[in-house]
Amino acid sequence: MSEPLIRAEGVTKVFRQGELEVHALRGVDLTVGVGEFSALAGPSGCGKTTLLNLIGALDEPSGGVLSVAGQDVTQLARGDAADFRLDHVGFVFQAYNLVPVLTAYENAEFTLLLRGASREERRTVVEPLLERVGLGGLFERKPHELSGGQQQRVAVVRALATSPSIVLADEPTANLDSTASAGLLDLMLELNQELGTTFLFATHDELVLERAKRVVRMLDGRVDEDIWD
Amino acid sequence: MLPRLAWRNLWRQRTRTLILISAVTFSYALLLVAMGVGDDSHQQMLDAAVEGAGGDVLVHRDGYWSTLAADLVLPDGLAVAERARGVEGVAEAIPRIRLPALVSTADGARAVDLLAVDPLVEEALVDIHEHLVEGERLDATALESPILLGIRMAEDLETEVGGRVVLTASGWDGELTRALFRVAGFLETGIREVDETLAYTTLQAAWGALGDSATVTQVGVLVQEGTDVEVLAEALREGLGRDGVPVEVLTWRQAVPEMVGFIETDDAFLYIYAAVMFVVVAFAIANTFLVAVTERVREFGLLNALGLRGRRIGVLVLVETAVLTLVAVGVGFAIALAGHLAIDHWGIPIAIWGMEDMELAGVNISDMVMRSQITTSKWIVATVAVMVTTVGSAVFAAVKAARLVPAEAMRFYE
Repeated sequence: MSEPLIRAEGVTKVFRQGELEVHALRGVDLTVGVGEFSALAGPSGCGKTTLLNLIGALDEPSGGVLSVAGQDVTQLARGDAADFRLDHVGFVFQAYNLVPVLTAYENAEFTLLLRGASREERRTVVEPLLERVGLGGLFERKPHELSGGQQQRVAVVRALATSPSIVLADEPTANLDSTASAGLLDLMLELNQELGTTFLFATHDELVLERAKRVVRMLDGRVDEDIWD
Repeated sequence: MLPRLAWRNLWRQRTRTLILISAVTFSYALLLVAMGVGDDSHQQMLDAAVEGAGGDVLVHRDGYWSTLAADLVLPDGLAVAERARGVEGVAEAIPRIRLPALVSTADGARAVDLLAVDPLVEEALVDIHEHLVEGERLDATALESPILLGIRMAEDLETEVGGRVVLTASGWDGELTRALFRVAGFLETGIREVDETLAYTTLQAAWGALGDSATVTQVGVLVQEGTDVEVLAEALREGLGRDGVPVEVLTWRQAVPEMVGFIETDDAFLYIYAAVMFVVVAFAIANTFLVAVTERVREFGLLNALGLRGRRIGVLVLVETAVLTLVAVGVGFAIALAGHLAIDHWGIPIAIWGMEDMELAGVNISDMVMRSQITTSKWIVATVAVMVTTVGSAVFAAVKAARLVPAEAMRFYE
């Protein structure tokens, strides 16, 4: 059996607020394979976003083993963590996904620009993706000139532009109406099937859970249930 | 990418950015203009000081300058002047007699500062006829023993052009001597004290009255452009102090230390003003950029999450400050240049501040018109200082932005 894309063993995360210790994760064991379209579900405060942040090297675990794309992400220096994210992870956040002063096109090509891709290379990747997600003709619009759904689509293009190992999506539909949510999720599912990109969501949204091939339910900082479609 | 992001970020808060740019722009422009006016005024004061003292370097009998004693003379002053002209770097050596005297008519007597000069040689330093308001030049009059008097003194003595006055002074032998002079004209400088005490005559006339036709009290030396005054003074000390008469050779800085002190103090105040201004601007920028970083914590978190290293986020903040500074310095320089050209063209008479009778360290500056002069090195230093100060003041904010933990930053405001 090949190495899973994500391997978490006994992962813990403790936040300290003065004297107070908050145990956000209490020993998470989880593996995610290449090409999965999976969701972390559970009530608020169960640790979904925290786990997603650890997988994306946005934060460091307090304990346990966590490797992503074959790399131990528990001991990364800040600069290395940024490089790791750039090389392996695409993000779609709930809100404030785009850089406000950049156009839709510039936001979409941002990660490629960070990688040092040429103008032509960026254009070759970004233009078809933006067309594919229905944003042709909106390239020059600033984020505030786009609807919430359109902004999330730009974020999806940006996440996919670098062909990452995994796209982490934290409540991507939380600020969208049901039609826009369904459209966005269908698009992500299609891209998952077309490109084979792994998607991992943290969500409450039933629309996401309906489409996910696997739902990992969390409770009190632990994996409570792991349901495969 | 960073400059483009920085430029756009600056204009997200247009009003705030414009206020900041204005603060830097006007502080910088004011500093440059103040330096331009200050440098020109100081140069004029120095020129006036050199004129008042009698040259860039002064040669006297030892002890004369501090006492102005009439018996401390250079007995062979013309030869001293001639030898001085032979020293490398000397443009002209001007012999003159300078001593206190009394001028009297039937209507009274007045104490005067008598200056006896060769008008043609003296022109290398100053045209003494510049303030002639009535009568003839000393070098053009046919009068025997001509004398030019300050206008107020002439009024007090009720004399007129062509009239006779008696000059009383201590002769070279120490004995009181009296001689008849003819009034060639009147001088008006506009300074009451000077116009009450000024008297010019020729060396020939003075020698006729005082005796001995080669003795002077001072040789004023003018240096050639680019010559180091201190070095030249040393050369003169070595060259002129050999023939038994103890001479003192003073540079103008030694001769008018009060003026030098005033200029140094004035410069110090300008630097203090600049330092205060820099501190105020630095705090304003530091505060503004700290606020801006706080407002954009989520955005910095997003950039970091997408793979922009923390160090580059810090650089982004510094580039924003640098762009702001470049705009401010560009506009400020244009304003300063316009101010410099305008002030240099039209000038600001010092008299408009009520300084009609202003004398500084024995130098009349009341008729001075302040203009502007660019000292390139100073303008460069000021520009670099403004840029370093403004960009430097954002370093704390930049470090703060660079050290944000993305997960925490992304939670900000949630």
